[in-house]
Order: sequence, then structure tokens, then C-alpha cells
Amino acid sequence: MPEAAVSVERLEKTLGKNHVLRGVSFEAGKGEIFGLLGPNGAGKTTTLRTICTLLAPDEGSIEVLGFDTRTAPAEVRRRVGVVTADIGIYPRLSTRENIAYFARLSGMTGSQVASRVAAVIERFDMSSFAGQRAESLSSGQKQKVAIARAIVHDPPVLMFDEPTSNLDVLASKEIRDFMVESRSRGKCVIFSTHVLHDAERLCDRVTILHEGRVVASGPTAEVRGAHRDLEDSFLELVEA
Amino acid sequence: MSWAWIVYRKELIEILRDRRTLMAIALSAFATPLVLSVVTQVSSQTATQTYTVGFSGDVPAGLDLILAAVKLKLEPVADPAAAAKHDVDLGVVFGDGTIDEYYDPTRQSAQIADTRLQTVLGQYNAAKADAALRLKGIDPGILVPIRISPHPLSSVTAAAGNAFLSFFLPYILITMIITGGFSAALDSTAGERERHTLESLLLTPAPRSRILLGKIAAVSSISLVAAVVAIASMFVAISQIKNSGIHVTLNPIVIPVMVWVAILVAASFSALTLALGTLAKSFRQGQAYVTPLYFITIFPASIVLFIPDFNPNLAYYLIPILNAVLVLRDAIVHNSIDWPALGVSTFSLVGTGLIAWFAVLRLFTREALLTRS
Repeated sequence: MPEAAVSVERLEKTLGKNHVLRGVSFEAGKGEIFGLLGPNGAGKTTTLRTICTLLAPDEGSIEVLGFDTRTAPAEVRRRVGVVTADIGIYPRLSTRENIAYFARLSGMTGSQVASRVAAVIERFDMSSFAGQRAESLSSGQKQKVAIARAIVHDPPVLMFDEPTSNLDVLASKEIRDFMVESRSRGKCVIFSTHVLHDAERLCDRVTILHEGRVVASGPTAEVRGAHRDLEDSFLELVEA
Repeated sequence: MSWAWIVYRKELIEILRDRRTLMAIALSAFATPLVLSVVTQVSSQTATQTYTVGFSGDVPAGLDLILAAVKLKLEPVADPAAAAKHDVDLGVVFGDGTIDEYYDPTRQSAQIADTRLQTVLGQYNAAKADAALRLKGIDPGILVPIRISPHPLSSVTAAAGNAFLSFFLPYILITMIITGGFSAALDSTAGERERHTLESLLLTPAPRSRILLGKIAAVSSISLVAAVVAIASMFVAISQIKNSGIHVTLNPIVIPVMVWVAILVAASFSALTLALGTLAKSFRQGQAYVTPLYFITIFPASIVLFIPDFNPNLAYYLIPILNAVLVLRDAIVHNSIDWPALGVSTFSLVGTGLIAWFAVLRLFTREALLTRS
């Protein structure tokens, strides 16, 4: 296993009356795509939100590149980029303004902002609509802006929470390609999805959650085992 | 660049591109002159309108001419008391040295006609008594043992202008500060949640207190802009309405008080509306939360409308919004600053702002902010 970038240990979390996470532990390494899998309601989003400090753990601990989420949340947020299915960009700002806003909030200044914004605009081929207000963009274009915004500070840890669930085939491919590219650049990529086929194609290692518990964890091939695919493996684990 | 400044700049750009906020500001700019124009026309119509007096009996010599001069038209009727109910504004029976007057006090036209008639009869009686005494060689002055010579210390026109300003200016200022920022406050809280931008914003290293500070500053700014636009349009409208009878000049001493009070109200109510917006899951729900706030806060301010000569003790200046209206009214009417009242008002508004700030900060740092949606 590569050197750990994210370490989650015995994570417990209750939201309202729901005991959402029950002792979740795993490690995601640098330069790998780590799959956080499970059906809807398994606790994947809560796990990601806890890693990126939006939620605080009730029990257990999380470290991101050596920074504890409880004691150094700002340092953690500096090192994490999150892409979700909810595109969430400011409709009255242009593509460039949206990205630049998040670049500034990540601590970049003046020329740094300009060069990083230009770089991500070029990377995602957004020059044709860089000056256009977000409200007039297509879904695919908006998703590109959302990704660009999340990674504009070039974070070493990238988290994708069901990123392709609202997208067409081409836009989904763009995201998958970006995840692969990020892995090759040594980033830790955490990919949360309930689409096990996607995970099987992309992930080096996976952890499967069910009802807030880890039911399987390890290299993708190992978790699949003798089954036809991850889905069969998952169904057997859940039924057991 | 500080976090708060980054958020402030972005919020302002978004607000200025938001049709709802721009519409609200434009509406305030146009609504004020429109309201003033209607008020002026109605009041000038009332002053020049002719009212009808239904009468029976013989009209005393010369009285008909005086009544006509004050736009009271005499019309013979069979039964003045019955006619005064619907057909005419006043009913009068002229007897031998007596006048019986019939009017319905629930009708405003009857009240105005009655006032005019009483004034005319007073002057008519005085003139008659004066002439009778002179005929007998008696000085009519014996009827007025104490003569009053009024010496107004300011012009009547200026006083009327001050009275007008003392009501309208605080009311417009406060109303526009409160309503001018509503849309912006909801957009930057409930709107963020609705558009799913809130999570991304909270994922940045920027501390939430700084994010909030930027938002409060932006909403306060736009509230102040709305208020300035409304007041500027009010002054332009007054200067443009001819024969309004209103001549207003703002004493320079009022301006710093107005700016200070406006900033305090804008900051404290921006924090308050942001807190309510943070509680809401959507813009629409936010509107449902914020609308009652408007009525709750503006109601005390309306006291000056119902009780123009309301002179409260210092304790009343602890009531937010009412204190702002009173401090401004006092400065306009008396052309001076009531320092104790301003001090208590400042304390109250700063306190309100701080409570609202802690409330919104607490709401903004709760996990429920994200999990509720």
C-alpha cells in the first residue's frame, strides 16, 4: 500500500437520531484512487464530510497528510479538494470569477490567482466560456467549473462524491480521465460511489460500507475475489 | 487580501447583478416621489375644495359673501338636518339671531366644512360686535382684555418643512435600510444553501466568522445604498413638486446623526436577517421568516406617525428602530443632538447587532447548517 495521505480510525458519527458511522477505519494512499463504496445511506457522504472537516467526529480520529481534523481543520481544508454531484456554483459570476473566488479563499493572491485560474481554464478547455456567467452554461460546462473550483488550489487530496450521478456519458468520462490523471500526478483520490462498475474500473483499492460499517476493504481485485464483479461480491457481503 | 474583504467583494458583485435587489432599490427611488406627489395633490385638493351648506331661513346680511370666499356654497333645502346626513356637507337653520348647525362628525367633509363655518362665524360675530360698539361710542377693545401678539421664532413654512421631514425622513431611511437588504441577505444565506454553494464555501480555509463578516458588510452596504437612493429621490421629488407648500432644508447637524444611526441599524439588521436566512432551507422559506421581522420592527417606528408629539423618556430609546426614528426626529425638529438619547440608542443598537452577530455565527458554525438540508 502506498504512503497514507488520509487515515480514518474507528470513526463514529451520529446525525440526529441516526447512528450513521459505526467504527469506520481505512487509509487512502498517495498516488492511488481509493474507492469508498456502498449503497445510498451507507455513510459515504458523512465520511467524506467528516474528512474534509465539515462535520466533527463523535469518536475516532482522522488525519490528512499528518494534520488532525479536530486540531488543524484549516490546514486540512487547504489540502483537500471536494467535487460533489451538486454542482453548486454562483450563477451570477462568470466561470473565471467563480474559480478566482475560490482561489482567493484558498489563500492565493494576485498573480498566483491569475496563473492558477488560467491553468485550470486551459486544463478543462473552458476558454470559450470563461467570461460567461455560470447561469447560462450547460450542465457539462457547469460541472467543469465545479471541478476547476475544487482543485484550483492544487490540493494533494481529492475527494469525489458521486461526481457522475447527474452527468451524461461525455462529462462522466471527463471526470474519470481527470481522476486517472490526478493519480498519475501522485494525488490521493478518494472516489465515493454506489456505482460499483465505475469503481471497479478506476479504483486501486476499495472500502465497502454498509449501514455505517466497513464490510470489506482492500485492493479491488482482492475484494472482488472469486466473484464475477464487485457488485456480486457486495451482494454476498450484505446478505451475509 | 483578508477573507472578509474577498467575501465582501464577491457578495457585492453578485448583489449588483441580482435583478431582485436592483428592482427593490429602483422601486424605492420611484415610489418615494410618487407617494409624495399623491400626498401633495390630495392635501392641496382638500384645501381648495368647495363644500355645500344646506340651509333654511334667512341668511344674515353679508354672510353669504364671506362663506363663498372660504368655499362654502349655500344651497336651500327643506330639512337641513336630514340633508346633512347624505346630500350636503352641513345643514344650517338660520333663526332670529341664532344658527342651528347639523353635521355628521364621521364624515371628513363635514368636519372640514364645520371648521370653516366656525371660523367664518367667529370673524362675522366679532365684526358685527365691533361695529355695534363703535356706533355706541364704545372702544371695541374692551371685548379683548388680553391681546396676544405672536412672535414665531422660525418661519411657519420652515416649521412645516421640519415637521414633514421629521416624519418622512426617519421612516423612509429605516424602512429602506431594513427592506433594501432583505433580498441580498436571503440570497447570501438561504440562497447559498439552495444553490448548493454553501458546502463549497465552507470547505475553504476561510474562517466562518470572516465569511460572515464579509456577508454582513455587503448586506449593510446595499441597505445603506437603498436608503441613500430613497432619501435622495425624496429631496429631488420635493424640489420638483411645485406649490407643495413644503420647503425643506436639512440642517447639517442632522447628517452625522443620520449616518451614524443608519450604519448601526444597517449592521445590526443585516446580522439579524442573515441569522433568519441561515435558519431557512430555501429563499422562499427565508422570505417567510423575514417578512414578520419587517412588521415587528417597523411597528414601533410608526408610533411617531400616530403620536406626532410623542416625547418619551430615555428608556424608550432602548427599543431598537423606535430609538433610531426618535433620535432622527429629535435632530430634525430641534436642530440639535440629544446626546443622552443618542448614547442610549447607540448602546441598544450595538447590543442588538452583537446579539444578532453571535446568533448568526452560532448558526453558521453548527453542523446542522449542512445536515438539515
